[in-house]
Amino acid sequence: MKQAIVLAAGEGQRLRPFTVTRPKTMLSIADKPILQFVVESLAQNGIRNIIFVVGYRKEQVYDYMGSGEQFGVEITYVTQETQLGTAHALSQVKDMAEDEFLVLPGDNLIEAHTIADFVQIKPEAMLVERVSDPVRYGVVSMDGSEVKDIVEKPEEAGSNMVNTGIYAFTKDIFKFTESVLDIPDALNNMIAEGYTINALETGGTWLDVVYPWDIISLNDAVLRNIEVSLGGTIEAGASIKGKVMVGEDTVVRAGSCIYGPVVIGSGCDIGPNVCIMPATSIGDNVVISPFTEIKNSVIGNDVTIGAGGIISDSVIDRGCVLKGRFTAVGGQSEVRINGESPSINVGVMMGEDCNVESNVTAQPGVIVGNYCQIQMSKIISGRLPDKSLVY
Amino acid sequence: MCGIVGYIGEKKAQPILLNCLSKLEYRGYDSCGIAVSANGIEVHKDALRVKALTKALPVLDGAAGIGHTRWATHGEPSKLNAHPHCDCAGRIAVVHNGVINNFQKLRDQLTAEGHNLVSQTDTEVIPHLIEKYYDGDFEKAVGLALHDIEGSYTMIALMAGEPRLVVARKDSPLIIGIGDRENYIASDVPALLNYTSRVIYLEDGDIAVVTADAVEVKQDGASIVREEHKILWSVEDAQKGGYEHFMLKEIHEQPKVIRDTLSEYISAAEPAADLTGVDGSSLDDILILACGTSYHAGLVGKYIIEGLVNVPVRVELADEFNYSGQASARNKAIVITQSGETTDVLKAIRKLRETGCRVIVITNVVGSTASRIADRTVYTRAGPEISVAATKTFLAQLIALYWLALPYSRVDIGRLDDLVLEIRQLPVKVQRVLDNETAIADCARQLAGFENVFFIGKGINYPIAMEGALKLKEISYIHAEGYAAGELKHGPFALLGSNTPVVAVVAQDNTYEPMVTSIKEIKARQSPVLALVSEEDETMEGLADSVITVPQIDPLFSPVVNSVVLQLLAYYVARERGCPVDFPKNLAKSVTVE
Repeated sequence: MKQAIVLAAGEGQRLRPFTVTRPKTMLSIADKPILQFVVESLAQNGIRNIIFVVGYRKEQVYDYMGSGEQFGVEITYVTQETQLGTAHALSQVKDMAEDEFLVLPGDNLIEAHTIADFVQIKPEAMLVERVSDPVRYGVVSMDGSEVKDIVEKPEEAGSNMVNTGIYAFTKDIFKFTESVLDIPDALNNMIAEGYTINALETGGTWLDVVYPWDIISLNDAVLRNIEVSLGGTIEAGASIKGKVMVGEDTVVRAGSCIYGPVVIGSGCDIGPNVCIMPATSIGDNVVISPFTEIKNSVIGNDVTIGAGGIISDSVIDRGCVLKGRFTAVGGQSEVRINGESPSINVGVMMGEDCNVESNVTAQPGVIVGNYCQIQMSKIISGRLPDKSLVY
Repeated sequence: MCGIVGYIGEKKAQPILLNCLSKLEYRGYDSCGIAVSANGIEVHKDALRVKALTKALPVLDGAAGIGHTRWATHGEPSKLNAHPHCDCAGRIAVVHNGVINNFQKLRDQLTAEGHNLVSQTDTEVIPHLIEKYYDGDFEKAVGLALHDIEGSYTMIALMAGEPRLVVARKDSPLIIGIGDRENYIASDVPALLNYTSRVIYLEDGDIAVVTADAVEVKQDGASIVREEHKILWSVEDAQKGGYEHFMLKEIHEQPKVIRDTLSEYISAAEPAADLTGVDGSSLDDILILACGTSYHAGLVGKYIIEGLVNVPVRVELADEFNYSGQASARNKAIVITQSGETTDVLKAIRKLRETGCRVIVITNVVGSTASRIADRTVYTRAGPEISVAATKTFLAQLIALYWLALPYSRVDIGRLDDLVLEIRQLPVKVQRVLDNETAIADCARQLAGFENVFFIGKGINYPIAMEGALKLKEISYIHAEGYAAGELKHGPFALLGSNTPVVAVVAQDNTYEPMVTSIKEIKARQSPVLALVSEEDETMEGLADSVITVPQIDPLFSPVVNSVVLQLLAYYVARERGCPVDFPKNLAKSVTVE
């Protein structure tokens, strides 16, 4: 297999506010968009010819991935104007596909070993994984290593084996992509016509982000595998333990403690006397003022956090300004998204470019939309739509 | 202004030369050509773009060659005037970037001596002079020929049967790329990114002999060692990555450019450059010099520095300054040049230095001539800009000016903290403008049908109106004028009417009320008004015909977001009109001739 087609057109509505200005594939985990994990996994398995099917907010993909040179691959872009489904997305590249190729979702986080065996497989084939909660996924029933059928989100699952959305195809697939919208339907039709679809099980990393708070658990999982690298300036008197990455031009000032796994981007100003605790990712150009503690959280680019803040189990998107004494600590909460209300343990999910004045407390599970402004000493809870003003 | 390239090694020279040339088209593209040395010299050239010439060419053997892409100065763009130029026997070929001032005299002399010069170019005298002086020593002949020339002569000479290229640099840039048993020569770094990251910058007056495995540089006949530099740009930086045009790609790169530029400035503990007088006292005044888009950055710089530092600032066009400008030794000058190679600007820097004035250069190109003759250089980190219309380098220049002024600002500490916070927010604010692209494209479709457009602004956004007009005219060929809002009634009012739309850049500062008055006056003359306003504004919606909102921001930084809106506006107008966005007619990226 020399070619991969990566489906990166989708929006990810349930991930709002984080997907209002970017596609799901560009959500940042451990300071890298999910899509970059996919591309790096392909490159490490020797697949360098990559076609991206892009659509929703495609410029964000262009801006970050460019021509692929930086990642050692060659990227060609194809646009899917309306996001009708995965089979429709795949049919956009009909004329560019080689005889055999891989298809991968751009919004599932994988690592090189996840697909190491699969890249050698003979098409048609799909990669499956055993999970504990199969009803969230496409459940695959199998006969030996052969796929019998795929049922999307069944009420009761007949097996624990689910579809990862990673496939190996020949051009025959294009005979089936015109009449249906999603690839599993196309596969069911192929099976009905007598094609053999092989299934290969992987035990490797395969993580999906469905809800905003999934970003936190994924970040935690991925950070465990980072390599230590310290750029920038670490002042004497700063204490760094465990796996910590610090980018170029970042300053970590005296009295600060950073306990890995932690990733800090470039151009940041941290401290003095700031504590950054495990499972935290911090983007580029971020300022964290004295006496602030951050734990198990994801902080985007260009964020400024004032003095005396306590933030845990939270996601703060790019460009937010949090003045002094901001508090957002994880706790048990129920959040309704599209009729589903899972019970979770989170702090705040805050969209981009919010301006929060001092002494604001966010109750567990609050979702703050993009571009919100919150006045001094407020307690916020529930869900704030984009551009909310809290007086 | 032209681009020149050379190759000598073991591979076929033709594809390498053409690829390098295509990366230099921003320096001019009205004609191009290559010469390759195999058994003799074979020259192919025409009044075509590189891509078209590539298609028209037969396969040439030969592992040494030179190439040229032209921006016409002496003689119209034509096959005859395209480079390379040859001597009478067709054994010597030369590509040249520069202007030979005494070319008429040389040409008459050569013609009288029996040489047959066929083109109207100044360049053609060089191969004939080399032919005249050639006595078996190619290098010596080139040296003697150049000795006769007055003017600028960055050039590469190729001779049949000679396993070497002789190159010279005078007043236009030239670099040598070091490869493995092969060497490259080019006007600028992007041409070589595909091949090597090791380069030598030649200095004025250098003559170098380049063979496949050696480079020997001489200055005044004596061998000299020029340091090898490592280029940090990647090839990827110079490709379109998904976008239809380089201009749109570069507009979208701006959040990252601001972040990169700021990171570097902020992490350095010291101010970008010293803006005080000799003994730490405050300056009497500051002079800013630049051309084109950089001049508009300079005008914004005047408002920034006067507003923050409280020192009077004078902004002049570099070329005009060369003719009549005055500067005193007690002053400081800030010179802004994207490429660091613009001839008018270099001349102005030399003039300033002669008067004892200290010069701070703001440029995007490390190792450029301007940076080497300045007292202090502040680099912008915009990466290579391919589109002829400057976008990201302009924004990076603004960031540099803010950062120059901030350490010397006379505002109170609270305000200073706010400003530093706001400048760090700029990447996100610019990203929000980009996220609003569809609305801006809609407004552009409305503008595309008109033939005249006025841009107005007031205060710190007046230069942004000028820059908006410049962007529109250079890529969409619509006649556009940038005016200070208050000036409109002193003449241009006569041109207003329903066929002349006005783009108004409105900021939330002390210019707001007068801008509202101006817009009312314009509306009274039936001109359609497109207003750029902050998202918190409520009155403009009812006043202007269409409105583009920009994120709320301190008015001091409003030029940054407003200029991004106007870049996108110009881009979508040009696209709507089917113009060649990245390569507008008659223009070149950096102008290295007068």
